[in-house]
Amino acid sequence: MSTQTHQTTQSASRAPFVSTGSGLRFSGLLKSESIKLWSLRSTYWTFSLVVVAALGLTVAMSFALSPETAGFDPATGAAMAVDSAQMFVIVCTTGLGLGQMIVAVLGVLSISGEYSTGMIKSTLTAVPGRLAALWAKVIVVFGFTFLVGLFSVLGSFLVATPILGSQDVTASLFDVDVIMPLLGNVLFLALIAVFSVGIGTIVRSSAGGIATVLGIILLLPTVVAVFSLLVEWVADLMPFMFTVAGSEMIAPTMVESWQALLIVLAWVAVSLGVAALLLKRRDA
Amino acid sequence: MIQAQSLTKHYGSKTAVDAIDFTVQPGKVTGFLGPNGAGKSTTMRMIVGLDRPSAGSVIVNGKLYHEHKAPLREVGVLLDAKAVHTGRSAYNHLRAMAATHNIPTSRVHEVINLTGLESVARKRVGGFSLGMGQRLGIAAALLGDPATLILDEPVNGLDPEGVQWVRKLTKQLAAEGRTVLLSSHLMSEMALTADHIIVLGRGRVIADASVADIIASAAQNTVRVRTPHSAALAALLAQDDVTITNVEQDVLEISGLTVTEIGDRAAAAQISLHELSAVNASLEDAYMKLTQNEVEYRTGDSSSHTEAEVAR
Repeated sequence: MSTQTHQTTQSASRAPFVSTGSGLRFSGLLKSESIKLWSLRSTYWTFSLVVVAALGLTVAMSFALSPETAGFDPATGAAMAVDSAQMFVIVCTTGLGLGQMIVAVLGVLSISGEYSTGMIKSTLTAVPGRLAALWAKVIVVFGFTFLVGLFSVLGSFLVATPILGSQDVTASLFDVDVIMPLLGNVLFLALIAVFSVGIGTIVRSSAGGIATVLGIILLLPTVVAVFSLLVEWVADLMPFMFTVAGSEMIAPTMVESWQALLIVLAWVAVSLGVAALLLKRRDA
Repeated sequence: MIQAQSLTKHYGSKTAVDAIDFTVQPGKVTGFLGPNGAGKSTTMRMIVGLDRPSAGSVIVNGKLYHEHKAPLREVGVLLDAKAVHTGRSAYNHLRAMAATHNIPTSRVHEVINLTGLESVARKRVGGFSLGMGQRLGIAAALLGDPATLILDEPVNGLDPEGVQWVRKLTKQLAAEGRTVLLSSHLMSEMALTADHIIVLGRGRVIADASVADIIASAAQNTVRVRTPHSAALAALLAQDDVTITNVEQDVLEISGLTVTEIGDRAAAAQISLHELSAVNASLEDAYMKLTQNEVEYRTGDSSSHTEAEVAR
């Protein structure tokens, strides 16, 4: 007992420890989020699936379709002839449609996985300002999804070139009518991932987040289409649907490209804005 | 140093932490004690900004936690062992945490060695035992070489060797001038580790004193008496500031009187005593005494002790 008392008084008289060394930096947060993304197996699985779906559908469609029948009339749904640039865009981007679902899941999981495992507590004690951690995650998810999308469409173009070439359908990658729609699709893919990060942050659950995102991407346009049969003005909402706007910004039929892009960005902004507000306010 | 000022947290209509004030000093191990639901974890979460106080404030090393430029270097925190993504390896978890503050990878290896995780560092955390999870949590807390450590139940799930290691580690960290706040349900552990103790009950500070003072003040030292005439002795000694408890047939525990007083008065009344000994209170007894009215979830038979008290 006497030794314990002695120790206590001795240590209490010691000068308080002062911490030194590097502090929080946004570059560090980007690095941290990259490590987090690439240290989970699910990331490799999901990104691989995006590439496989893109290349696989490109091969299948390049063999199966011809320029005479590849397009369809948006009014009637009937098959329609397309030029060779459009042909390339169709075969190179259809697989990315599947990729949209996959990166939506990845985006949700990137944050909901932190909530379900408790990791979020570690993240938020390291970054008590909270929002910087969200923005870092958004940038990292956007960046890598964009790269994977770019890799997918460029790979698809390389795969499609010899197959379509055998039908005498050729196009240059650097043709504006080819490269711009391809990049547009890649941009939309990355924006879907980011939109999903926002939804995952709002919902804080993997199942709920995935259901919400897929509902907005897949179900909402269908619901609007059905109601537009009953109530005429509902049809005017169609271009405002997230995925409809996403394809409108690449191949405009109802609104201008730039208007469609603004609609897409508005969806992303609302998702991330609400996410940021709730992240800042709620107890973790 | 951690300073809380009328720190309060409500969850709906329930008050988890009720306007508490306390200071945790550097250079000492401070123990946070209290029954389940007393508000220990909530308080710890508020210190590092995971929960927002409903009222009042708590500052660490002079600032609100989120105002620090290098939070991980100010406070290392182990809230529970489950604050890690189960699909990630321990090494990558620590690397991701370190990256936020540009802490070099060499430090990651240091804390892995320090906590004895070398052999499992590359394995996914999902397969970790509770003890390994605790070690990883402690490794993460130490990552920034922080001035303040907050450890919620650090010995939970550790083997005896691990318990001893945590005891040494916390004492050493405090001896380096750091602020160390740890909670534990193991009173005996706290008696060995802590210098100072803050007892919480139902969201209030019940006691805030050194370990020795807590034992001395909360549990008066009692005297154990064995006599065949226990009822007669109890009647003889009964007075306002004396508590007499009939712990078993023929055995009384008496507080408020010394061994000498009881022996002399029994001899004067010609009551034979078969045993007369002083019982030193343990921290556990002191703690039970302090919190017996504050326990939120009480087991069925724990009140039998008070029922056995002999009427004065």
